[in-house]
Amino acid sequence: MIDIGSFFILGILLFSIGIVGIISRRNIFVMYMSVELMLNAVNLILVALSHHYEDLNGQVMAIMIIAIAAAEASIFLALFVMLFKNAHSLDANFFELLAQEKHND
Amino acid sequence: MNSALSFIVTLLSIAGLFALLGGSFLFLVQVIIYAGAVVTLILFIIMFLNIKEENLPHEPYKTRWILFMSLLISPFTAILISTVNSMHFSPLHLENFGSIKDVGMELFTQWVLPFEMISILLLIALIGVVILAKKEKGHD
Repeated sequence: MIDIGSFFILGILLFSIGIVGIISRRNIFVMYMSVELMLNAVNLILVALSHHYEDLNGQVMAIMIIAIAAAEASIFLALFVMLFKNAHSLDANFFELLAQEKHND
Repeated sequence: MNSALSFIVTLLSIAGLFALLGGSFLFLVQVIIYAGAVVTLILFIIMFLNIKEENLPHEPYKTRWILFMSLLISPFTAILISTVNSMHFSPLHLENFGSIKDVGMELFTQWVLPFEMISILLLIALIGVVILAKKEKGHD
């Protein structure tokens, strides 16, 4: 029998996978997808809670989170293109270099 | 590329879970915006940039890092999961909950101000992206 607790467990597992991905990888695409995975885990928990309390506020909050994630996606993709044009790599460590080069000018 | 494709599968499964939890509107939004727009944009950018093997960051200790971080994170996850297991929830009841009309009423009565702020946020994101791209052009 499925109950709400299994949805919580799935959300917690997804969130942990997201944290591991964002800390241990340097590929910026993988980091971005980990952030999105964490947002989705929170969404899942919110919707499960809204089902549990029979209250629609959780679902509306999840819609807000999706809208914010869409805004975040556009900025992230612009950053990807900028990074790839400047560095020809997808290494997130390049952003440190950018800050230092500004200082030298 | 493979990770992006499997990410689409994950998002679609989460959308299915939303539908199971009675969020029909959220299911549609998840399928259309996440799987349809965001991840497709990621795939488009991956193909557009034409990334080769040497462009990827050099990660010699990738597996070791992932194992180490999993060990570090797993106690917290175990604590959270045991907390959830100690609670008692009623089993899933599938009924007419969360129809699109109810969500719309909620969105436009109690959540009007956050809704409008989201539109301003999207506008700011649009302007920011345009400025990011334009600066790049001026630099060349």
